Amino acid sequence: MYELFDHTADIGLRVRSADREDLFREAATGLFSLIAEPVRGGPSSCPVEIEVRGERLDLLLFDWLSEWLYLSDRDRTILCDFEVEWVEGGLRGRATAVPMEEAGALLREVKAITYHGLRVEHAGTEWIAEVIVDV
Amino acid sequence: MGKQAYSGPLERVGEFVWRIPRSYKSGMRVDGLIYASEKLIEQIRHDQAPEQVANVAFLPGIQHASLAMPDIHWGYGFTIGGVCATDPEEGGVISPGGVGYDINCGVRLVRTRLSRSEVEPVLERLVDALYRRVPAGVGRGGAFRFDAKELCRLMAEGTRFLVGRGLASEADIAHTEAHGCLSGADPDLVSARAVERGAAQCGTLGSGNHFLEVQVVDEVCDEPAARTLGLAPDQVCVMIHSGSRGLGYQVCDDALRDLRGVPVKYGIQLPDAQLACAPVESPEGRRYLGAMCAAGNFAWCNRQLLMAQTRDVFAEVFGRSWSELGMSLVYDVAHNIAKHELHRIGGRERRVWVHRKGATRAFPPGHPEIPADYRAIGQPVLIPGDMGRASWVLVGQPGSMEQTFGTTCHGAGRAMSRTAALRASHGRRIDQELRERGVVARAQSWRGLAEEQPAAYKNVDDVVEVVHRAGLSRKVARMRPIGVIKG
Repeated sequence: MYELFDHTADIGLRVRSADREDLFREAATGLFSLIAEPVRGGPSSCPVEIEVRGERLDLLLFDWLSEWLYLSDRDRTILCDFEVEWVEGGLRGRATAVPMEEAGALLREVKAITYHGLRVEHAGTEWIAEVIVDV
Repeated sequence: MGKQAYSGPLERVGEFVWRIPRSYKSGMRVDGLIYASEKLIEQIRHDQAPEQVANVAFLPGIQHASLAMPDIHWGYGFTIGGVCATDPEEGGVISPGGVGYDINCGVRLVRTRLSRSEVEPVLERLVDALYRRVPAGVGRGGAFRFDAKELCRLMAEGTRFLVGRGLASEADIAHTEAHGCLSGADPDLVSARAVERGAAQCGTLGSGNHFLEVQVVDEVCDEPAARTLGLAPDQVCVMIHSGSRGLGYQVCDDALRDLRGVPVKYGIQLPDAQLACAPVESPEGRRYLGAMCAAGNFAWCNRQLLMAQTRDVFAEVFGRSWSELGMSLVYDVAHNIAKHELHRIGGRERRVWVHRKGATRAFPPGHPEIPADYRAIGQPVLIPGDMGRASWVLVGQPGSMEQTFGTTCHGAGRAMSRTAALRASHGRRIDQELRERGVVARAQSWRGLAEEQPAAYKNVDDVVEVVHRAGLSRKVARMRPIGVIKG
């Protein structure tokens, strides 16, 4: 699950999950909840795939979210139905890209993911991630 | 990481100056100095912005102090409203975080010969037409298309590139900071990804705090200066706030990725990864500067094209050409940028990199970089407030060169987080509340309006009063919004 937290100029996104796959999936879902109302794939939707590499989980999360954001901005799509697969040296992601004109209510532009306050931790039985996005 | 109040030291060292001593944190190379009134400093303590002022003081080569203007608020890495100058001769660094993702985000003001009474009867139609014509919000592409070669020229030449297409004039260039072109631009250093993101966005407003406002000159504080700027009571103007769009965001993102591990390579200790930096005279530093300048030039073209579309809409609605309507550019300022400038430090002239992250250049009368027709009054400074109350026009003063590397504030500064503003708007219609104040607003989403509601901002009058009384810039005219376009 994800929630938003206060940051004066921008928006904080906090994600909690029992496993890492779900953590990354929820983080991407949370990111796109800032850009548009929830979307579902339609006739013009298409699958998209990314791969990000790295060892540090916080930087991996940064790259994961930045990559989806880049695709969304470049192609003017809203992404949903994220899938996560760990591969050697990183992770592979799949999602459905819905054209913005078919996405319903668009909320705000996210300019970028920031490094400020970025963290991914395994605390007890849960994974927790925090990231502040520039809007 | 939630919002916590600042608990470190803040010593009053002047009527409007508060100091965070260098001794606060080991690693600070200079003091932090925040310009604020007693009222504003109480608000400023409420979040981590002062801590960020202290963190910026860690940057190698920083001169005088890590400075913050009265509209300071918590950002990422650098505070918003932060100013820092670094000297390359002392190992000074360049930090993309000190410029921000929206490289050369800035403001321009366009005057008209129209009075409030001429515009008000058609205001609704005018705002609707502006909203239809000027792309605002998520995913709205622009009307202008540039192929790869043209984009390269646009990034290298800045506003001048648009003159040949009839979209800019020599007068527009003369009244744009740096003549709308940073000379160090190297488009080859802008990634293909940045170009892909920006290609369709030149001439688009974006969302967040970006806006296009129809304003009325509400109060004139300095009649001779106002006359020089072509401003008079009751006159209608247009203020435009936008930046370098996806191209600039990607340039910053690319640079921060390029700088991963670089501070360690050069033995630089930083308290926040978002402060990542490189010596100006390093390959990494030079790469960022070349790309940053190119993105800055893109931003000036973006605001120029937003103005061109605005002029067209006014011409259609009022049935006269924009030149007949007197729609000249008053001035255009950058408020997220790093500039290589000459300043007097320690008794001698030194060329330093002034990072302005949510701060505006405010050169005093006589400065050679001010357009000839304004040189006697000082550089125009444009301070947007909020969409319900006011914005301001000021001019730079000698105090800015003596105290803040020729810099003043850039806006009202947020008083409320976006999430808190949304909570506070529950059950309310912000557009109707604005209408009751005499403001016609159009926006892509009600959330956008709610996050940007007037109460989310400090009172810009309080912020401007500080920079006016501290001698950084002088009040010329107060502008009141009557029409607002938001993303």
